[in-house]
Amino acid sequence: MNAVVRPQAPRGGLATWATLAIAGLVLWSLWSIDASPERLLKLPEQMVRVLGFFWPADWGYGQTRALPAVLESIQIAWIGTLIGAALSISLAILGARTLFPRISRLVKFISSAIRSVPEILLALYLVPIVGLGPFAGALAIGIHSVGMLSKLGAEVIESIDMGTFEAVEAAGGSRLQAIRFAVLPQVLPEIMAQWLFRFELNLRASAILGVVGAGGVGGMLLTALRYRQFDKAAAVLLITILAVLLIDMASSAIRRRLVNS
Amino acid sequence: MIAPVRPKPRYAFWGGITLALVAMTAWSAKGVGVDFIGMVCNIGGGKRLLVESFPPDFGFLPRLFKPFLETLQIALIGSVIGGILAIPVAVLAARPVSPNGLVWFLDRNFMNVMRTLPDLFWAMLFATAVGFGPLAGALALTVFTVAVISKLFSESIEAIDTNLPEAICAAGGNWIEMVRFGALPQVWPQYASYLMYAFELNVRSSMVLGLVGAGGLGMILESQRSNFEYERVSLIILVVLVAVLAIEQLSGAIRRRLA
Repeated sequence: MNAVVRPQAPRGGLATWATLAIAGLVLWSLWSIDASPERLLKLPEQMVRVLGFFWPADWGYGQTRALPAVLESIQIAWIGTLIGAALSISLAILGARTLFPRISRLVKFISSAIRSVPEILLALYLVPIVGLGPFAGALAIGIHSVGMLSKLGAEVIESIDMGTFEAVEAAGGSRLQAIRFAVLPQVLPEIMAQWLFRFELNLRASAILGVVGAGGVGGMLLTALRYRQFDKAAAVLLITILAVLLIDMASSAIRRRLVNS
Repeated sequence: MIAPVRPKPRYAFWGGITLALVAMTAWSAKGVGVDFIGMVCNIGGGKRLLVESFPPDFGFLPRLFKPFLETLQIALIGSVIGGILAIPVAVLAARPVSPNGLVWFLDRNFMNVMRTLPDLFWAMLFATAVGFGPLAGALALTVFTVAVISKLFSESIEAIDTNLPEAICAAGGNWIEMVRFGALPQVWPQYASYLMYAFELNVRSSMVLGLVGAGGLGMILESQRSNFEYERVSLIILVVLVAVLAIEQLSGAIRRRLA
């Protein structure tokens, strides 16, 4: 046998240049937001010092004020998800390329325009319209969810087996009947799993809406931190973390069963 | 012809689920104060607001340039640094390559707890710790990116072909070599696509971080809103909308090429 022939290492090419360019951009960004090395080196010390203020948490405040606010955030997220789910189902069907090739692009564009406005900016407008409080938050979350859910729903519908759809049409069923009996049964479990997942994400979104006065726990955390009441802020944070963890666990257990069944 | 047997309807099961959903909805609707009638009655107030904000004040556009750039810089720093930090977090939380059960358990829970807090909460915390300004926003998005990417990335690592890492161990490679040459090369394409996804999310949230004092476009938004300059608010929202749509298209195109 002759000398071992080693494969040549592949050249980096484009990937190397892209990495270098990104690294350069990051350094430039760090420089222009004034993140000097001295400032970054001082960070860990600062963080530890501030975290030290957070203990012990003010549990009395947590029980009487923070817990109801967290529950309100959960309610906002639930109503928002329901609004989003109800409005998105028809947009998801209309946006599926396989069902409505003519209008799907337009519907998809509308839904991506809706979802590119962050919830909190929607809430800025809705608070003056429906008044300060949780309902404005629920509407903001609902509108944003419509954009997200109709995109995901359309993708699910595009991925299904169209054989049954054609079979229903071939047997003389109308398009509506074909959607009802061939499309919906195939996609509903997955779409429902996406609603649940959206609920998990909406819970986080509704937690911050209080910053602009749309109900929930966010405003409480902001005021506590502004007035340096770190014990209260700690209670708010811990209760939020616990509530979100619990809901995440419950929801992901249900989602697993939905998709597997 | 033998018709297939119709499955027995599970009334108790579906009834229970429906009941639970209706109860949850009723409880939430009561707490939120769902009030569509009030909303319709109040629509006049909304109309005035929309009329006031209608022709967006395009003369204000030049003054948005610097904060807009700052917003993109915050998003970039957060995505890149957070993306790098997410690699070890994800590797240690992926069962087939995690060094031992204890590390796996701790890291997994660390990841789940980090994921519970929304981006703006991190921004508030960092603004308190390091002071108002873009640095707080960049730090918040760094942590947020670690939370988003590490979860997705560790799930990808769990789905790899484990023969390769095993072969490296069998050939005498240590743990680092096993991860570096056996596991990670299989998932780099997914990693790149998660990074793009995180960048999309970060651009969207960096636009609003300023509402809690963490730099970028949101800070201008907050000051114009408190002066009731709604033509300017609507211009800022328009800019956010266009920027987010553009970034989404761009990253969608890049991700399609990666896949």
